[in-house]
Amino acid sequence: MLRRYGSQYAPAVLMIAVAVAAFFAFPFNLAFLTRILIMIVLVLSLDLVLGYAGIATLGQAAMYGAGAYAAGLFAIHVWADPVAGLLIGALAGAALAALAGLALMRTHGLTLIMLTIAVAQICSEIANRARDITGGADGLRGIRMQPVLGIWEFDFIGRTGYWYAFAVAAVVMVLLAVLVRSPFGLSLRGIHQSPERMLAIGAPVYWRRHAAYTLGGGIAGIAGALTAQITQLVSLETFSFALSAEAMIMLILGGTGRLYGAVIGTVIFMWVHHTAAANDPFNWLFVIGAMVLAVVFFLPTGLISLPPALKRLAKGGRHAGS
Amino acid sequence: MNTTRKTAGAIGLALGLFAASGAAADTIKVGVIAPFSGPFAQYGIQYQQAIETYVAQNGASAGEHEIEFIYKDVGGVNPDQSRSLAQELLIREQVDYLAGFTFTPNALAVGPIITQSETPTVIFNAATSVINKESPFFLRTSYTLWQVSAPMAEWAYDQGLRTVVTTVSDYGPGIDAEVSFKAAFEAKGGEVVDTIRMPLSTTDFTPVIQSVKDQAPDAVFAFLPGGPPTFTYTKTYNENGLRDAGIMFLGTAETEESNLQGLGDMAIGLTTAYHYSAAHDSDLNREFQAKLHELHPDGIINWASVGAYDGVHLIYEMVKAAGSDGPAAVEAVLGMEWESPRGALTMDPETRTVIQNVYIREVERNAETGLLENAEKGVIATVGDLGWDQ
Repeated sequence: MLRRYGSQYAPAVLMIAVAVAAFFAFPFNLAFLTRILIMIVLVLSLDLVLGYAGIATLGQAAMYGAGAYAAGLFAIHVWADPVAGLLIGALAGAALAALAGLALMRTHGLTLIMLTIAVAQICSEIANRARDITGGADGLRGIRMQPVLGIWEFDFIGRTGYWYAFAVAAVVMVLLAVLVRSPFGLSLRGIHQSPERMLAIGAPVYWRRHAAYTLGGGIAGIAGALTAQITQLVSLETFSFALSAEAMIMLILGGTGRLYGAVIGTVIFMWVHHTAAANDPFNWLFVIGAMVLAVVFFLPTGLISLPPALKRLAKGGRHAGS
Repeated sequence: MNTTRKTAGAIGLALGLFAASGAAADTIKVGVIAPFSGPFAQYGIQYQQAIETYVAQNGASAGEHEIEFIYKDVGGVNPDQSRSLAQELLIREQVDYLAGFTFTPNALAVGPIITQSETPTVIFNAATSVINKESPFFLRTSYTLWQVSAPMAEWAYDQGLRTVVTTVSDYGPGIDAEVSFKAAFEAKGGEVVDTIRMPLSTTDFTPVIQSVKDQAPDAVFAFLPGGPPTFTYTKTYNENGLRDAGIMFLGTAETEESNLQGLGDMAIGLTTAYHYSAAHDSDLNREFQAKLHELHPDGIINWASVGAYDGVHLIYEMVKAAGSDGPAAVEAVLGMEWESPRGALTMDPETRTVIQNVYIREVERNAETGLLENAEKGVIATVGDLGWDQ
């Protein structure tokens, strides 16, 4: 079983090495690195839904926000254990996705996109109205977490937060890597490429899509729970359209339908964003826009296709991006 | 850059050796977290202009310390970003003070870390009372919604108005405004006939205004975010004959300076209660505006500018008194009184929000400049944060 994934070890080892190196190279930026890791989890969830199952969504923030609020409320009122909070966040995200998915998965294309946006908006409005529970526009505050596994306290510099988020991101990554190679994952790819044919060979397309959406929702819920625990505050912005759209841009930047694409896209987008905004707090948006345009024009399949494209370019090929 | 870093290293060493002596000339850094890009960039720009104005007037050093400002863009409402920027400023840049904060969630998110690092943090805008309860290191030089809404209600009652309909945008600050206005007005013996909450994104206020007209109260209290909603609200107020029907308009920030000229003649006569008008009649205010316009000819001056200006003053005073010793710095300015472009201020030792004058203003056209302005008709109250115990 393990040998079959042998060739997959190299990138995984590389990623762990990068994470360790980043920890020592940027000891003052751990809070920012942690945000990248959380975003990776969210973008991975979108990759499963959009990249593998081909479900066009601009409302992944709905499940992210549900996870964040659920984990936050759980920590305040029930138990402040981080791992238990993650499970609650995952459950909340999955439950929302499962419920919304019943209706959403019957639609396609533009209708689907509009409806996913609508679900996120409705969630946001509910959180806004339920001020006594969620704190409304002021945000849900008072989240104080216990040490991770009862051992590691969340510290001021963010070391615990960083390794905790890294561990969660790694587990999600491994689970997804196994999932997308499983028969279930392969059937999702089949549905992405041709739902009619999959239906013809007897695959329950609707329920497969529903399952993928629910799973993606659960993972987005984990990302939301992470952010609630590390920021210690949940705001209505966790449901925002801007967040869904940014996650989508990161995924497209890196390359959809590949797990490493999601990781690379997130890291590059957030890093460029951070550096550009730090150097010029007024005009940095221009740099981000130019980068996204360049990638979409020259590397339509994302940054993950950069090495093969360069190779082809070196050989004198004309269509570097294709 | 290199020298700053060396100096910073030297400070670290010096601080380590003589913890509270503060004798050496050194650099104290202030991190400013505010929106500098996107739809709310105006706030960040105004903060920066006000800070530059203060520095131009008072020099770049406070006591024996050089002051350096570091600006960080938080975009909009984004507590995650706000918190991680604060951590970066505190850990990497070694700032001793934080400032800025336009939105409540962004300020709340840094509460736990400034308590841990004992960093005095001056809020330039965010106006929810609850923020200052999150950490004893928060100080606020803006205002709270209770601070301006409750005096407005009391003034209205004293003017002989007995029935009011409140119309507020349906979001956190709007609801705060409604609750505080209603509480204060009913405490006086007035009656709030109806409380209408309007969707935040709507720009069609006809049904709301019509409903107000049908109920025929003495006045209508409004709370709207700046920009297009205010514009269409006042337009609808005039066009539907509320003004002619004698239903008085009562507001707070609706006629603020950044979109006042855009409102045009229909804004004339609107009554608001607020803590700062650019038309405030004092030498200090004129000097502040002259200097700011000298540096930035097109700069807009409103409450956000003066909040930042007074915030910098507070930071300078803290640095003079205690250098980089956070708890001592906060202690030193509690109860401090000073004269600001908006009038007399006192830093309330209990709520850590400034006690200030709230003025009643009416929009008029200035005969000399031909521009609209919020003409102050008098001080209606001198109050601290009335929302603290709510």
